[in-house]
Amino acid sequence: MLIFDQLKKNDPQMRTLTVVVLAGMIVLLAGLWYVQVVASRRFVEDQRAQAYRTVRIPADRGKILDRNGVALADNTANYRISLYLEELPRLFKEEWRRIRPSHPLKRDERIALESIARYRVASNLCFRLSQIVGQPISLSGEEFKKHYQAQLALPLPLINQLTPQQVARFQEQPIIPPGLDLDVQPRRFYLYGTTAAHLLGYLHRDNQSREGEEADYDFRLPDYSGKVGVESAFNETLSGRAGMKSVLVNNLGYRQSESTWVEAEPGTNVVLTIDLSIQRAAERGLQAALNNTRGAVVVMDCRDGDILALASAPSFDPNRFVPRISHEDWAVLTDAKLRPQINRAIQENYAPGSIFKIITAMACLESGLDPNQIMYNPGYIRVDRRRPIGDTAPPGDYDFKRAFILSSNTYFISNGLRAGVDRILEISRALHLGERAGIPLPGQEVPGSLPKPGEKPVEWREGDTANLCIGQGFLDVTPLQMAVMTAAIANGGKVLWPRLVDKLVPQDPLMAGQAWVYERARVRGTLPVSQRTLGIIRDAMRADVEEGGTGKAARIPGYTISGKTGTAQVTDPRGRVVDHTTWFASFAPFEDPRYVVLVMVESGVSGGNTCAPIAREIFEAIRKRDAGFTLSSAQGDSGVHGRRHP
Amino acid sequence: MIGKLEQDQRVRLDWLQIIAVLGLLAVGAAFIHSATATNEVFASRPWFRQPFFLHIVYGLVGLAAATVVCMADYRWLARWSLVAYWACMLLLLGVFVVGKEVYGARRWIDFGPVQIQPSEFAKIGFIFMMANFLSRPLDELRQPGVFWKAIGLMLLPFLLILKEPDLGSALLFLPVGLVMLWSAGAPQKWLIKLVGGGVVLITLLLVDILFAPPSWRFKLEDYQRRRLLVYFGMNFAANAPEAERARLRREQRAHSYNVEQALISVGSGGWLGKGWGQGQQITLGYLPRAVAHNDFIFSVIAEEKGFLGSFIVISLYSVVLFTGIRNAAQARDRLGRLLAAGVVTLLFSQIFINIGMNIRIMPVTGVPLPLLSSGGSSVLCSLIAMGLLQNIHLYRRNY
Repeated sequence: MLIFDQLKKNDPQMRTLTVVVLAGMIVLLAGLWYVQVVASRRFVEDQRAQAYRTVRIPADRGKILDRNGVALADNTANYRISLYLEELPRLFKEEWRRIRPSHPLKRDERIALESIARYRVASNLCFRLSQIVGQPISLSGEEFKKHYQAQLALPLPLINQLTPQQVARFQEQPIIPPGLDLDVQPRRFYLYGTTAAHLLGYLHRDNQSREGEEADYDFRLPDYSGKVGVESAFNETLSGRAGMKSVLVNNLGYRQSESTWVEAEPGTNVVLTIDLSIQRAAERGLQAALNNTRGAVVVMDCRDGDILALASAPSFDPNRFVPRISHEDWAVLTDAKLRPQINRAIQENYAPGSIFKIITAMACLESGLDPNQIMYNPGYIRVDRRRPIGDTAPPGDYDFKRAFILSSNTYFISNGLRAGVDRILEISRALHLGERAGIPLPGQEVPGSLPKPGEKPVEWREGDTANLCIGQGFLDVTPLQMAVMTAAIANGGKVLWPRLVDKLVPQDPLMAGQAWVYERARVRGTLPVSQRTLGIIRDAMRADVEEGGTGKAARIPGYTISGKTGTAQVTDPRGRVVDHTTWFASFAPFEDPRYVVLVMVESGVSGGNTCAPIAREIFEAIRKRDAGFTLSSAQGDSGVHGRRHP
Repeated sequence: MIGKLEQDQRVRLDWLQIIAVLGLLAVGAAFIHSATATNEVFASRPWFRQPFFLHIVYGLVGLAAATVVCMADYRWLARWSLVAYWACMLLLLGVFVVGKEVYGARRWIDFGPVQIQPSEFAKIGFIFMMANFLSRPLDELRQPGVFWKAIGLMLLPFLLILKEPDLGSALLFLPVGLVMLWSAGAPQKWLIKLVGGGVVLITLLLVDILFAPPSWRFKLEDYQRRRLLVYFGMNFAANAPEAERARLRREQRAHSYNVEQALISVGSGGWLGKGWGQGQQITLGYLPRAVAHNDFIFSVIAEEKGFLGSFIVISLYSVVLFTGIRNAAQARDRLGRLLAAGVVTLLFSQIFINIGMNIRIMPVTGVPLPLLSSGGSSVLCSLIAMGLLQNIHLYRRNY
């Protein structure tokens, strides 16, 4: 053996040298074994940490669709041109050689000058690009420097939302300037602008990791999350799961290559119960009613509680929030009087006024009022020796129907007092007034309030009951609650949970079978009222429109609408009347009730004047839609038929 | 001379050693290629001017030189040792006059197409001189005058190279000289005293450099001081104001950068490595491209071939070293024995310092890895040294 040759001989020096060399080699091997085998993982991780940058890729956001599958919120392609910095170091170097002075520079000066050289290259490319696309593009030195220092491994977007012409011009260039390339980013787009804006909500820039996602990213691509409305309430569902890509960077931080580690999982589509045509009709109607109408419309299917339209005016355009909202737009949105951000259908308390007489009427009839009994109305009523409450209905003899269609205060107060406040409140509670209707938009629904006679600081008086009978006083409701009430009358006493979201459907068509459908026609309670009473009220409501009552403006020949108008007084803290809230609660067709249309307009003239015509327009749209459906389904049938028998 | 070679028809060359040397040269060329493939400066050159090809060329030139060295009996060559030694010293002096300055150090002399690094040649010249000087009767070595003369022969190139400055190369002369003195049979007491004194001196120097106030410090090149501080993991501005400290910390990071990257290269290689040409540390430029193919060539091999590659390299070196020691033991006279011991010590010191630096058990010094690192002078001198070993083997004692 090599080594032992020397050890055998009597040669102490060479023997020692052998031992020393052997020991040295063993030390090296042991060290290498430790570094490469024992501690290897640590160094592999060190290398990964210095050479890989992780990037969060937001998933395709789910769409928001109406009940027929029409997209209300969709993603469109945002074509943009970005600057890929890793292709530029050579240009940077050339530019630096061109501008550097002949004398040697200090370190700091050199760094500053190199930075200038880089910016000059970038802004030259920017200028060439702006000539190609025919649109000025600005890139400030600050912007460029910030990107270079913080996000070197990512492309720098120069121009967003290119028109198809610009895309074509860019791609037809014989030589595309170095470092520039076209890419596509999804961009949220609300196809119908202001339509259902309160329901849909809007997005704001939010690159943060969602719950359950990887939290540490080096870079994040722009992402958005919902701020209000369905976008916010279903944000988790809509946004899907972000993916992750890793970018391999060299020692200078330039991108070398990239690979996707985790694919983004697209978000789930949310299908609403809203019907776009009805929603638009409702919004058109509201808009046309007054100058800057402030009001709300709820259209509900009284058979199953599906909300077909939930409109609030004035509205706003959620597109303005992407990528970010301008100051002018924000000023309009925060106008103190118009308050466009409030969803008036569910987010605001109102006095119901005379439409509350529907409840009073139920209480009276249930406590034994004979609808045919005649009562004289002097044109006012005095309760508790307070000042008299005036009656908009003319003096004269009234039976139930006449009192209902002319909305006589005297009739309903005197009979309501006889029935008692407890009866009225019992029915109100059965309708779940004073409670939220469970619209899945957290923070956007108010419960309203019911008076609590026992708990009021001041003693409950007859006058308070009188006020309650005509829907004034210690009572707040939302238009949606009134729609639920109207539906209960129309459907024979079922108090339904309103249903706004129909189902959640995965975007992948192959997975569409796994849709999550929300339960239909959930009954929340039943009215403690006989069918006879409901029949009398339905008939009175029909008469209000059909027989020249206050709601006659809603009348459509050949389509029987039933309704009740209301004009509630809005008082200031001193009790003076400063404004009116006008209402129209209706359903149709009378013979087989299906649609509830509830209209509320702030500062309207009266329920009959302001709201009933809006309801008529909506009913007309509904009729047209139903006719269209029959037509299109007939066509669909014939189509299938045709294919079977060519 | 030549006739003598022909007389003994037996294959008297140390073939095992030659195979190991050729293996190392081939490994060197392969990984120099891999280390420079992505280097823009080299990639733009034609293939015959790329470092890997130059390595082969120098290897062939070196093998030719080694053959020439083998032609003549080393005893005849040793007669020229005085000339060789002083010629080397002249070259070392010449460095200060016509030397080419790179990174603040003058280590090269430019001869038009080739540049030579006199310190490499000085190593061979020194070993020759030392061996020749020490191969006198043992009694003479016990005379202090002879002993101190030998020490003087060692210190002259040491100081000249230290002045370049090139601390790493200079330091190599100490173990080589001391081992040769010791092998020659110089009184052990003196050597122990000398080494002990040296160790105390170096310790004092280190303590002085690391801890003493600036005015008391031994004058050392700034970069050397910093390297030492980095090696001992010290914050080299404990009392400075915050801004100054931040700047120095940045500098410290920059200085420890090479080692850290080398360590990552070696460590991330794992058992089997990432494969030839697949080392990320080089392709991505984390391992500085200026040093990857010379001082840090080992980390490239270790990353791309893993522990297996390291093991093979260490084994090849072990073959060279142990056959070298055998050559020394079998040498026909003290001259041959001393020459071989000197060469073995020189190679071993370089290997240990260079590989040790890659795994952070030695400080960073610009010592090339013999036969693997790119660099003409180094390859040439290493091969001449190997020729010398073969020469001693050829004219060894007959059993």
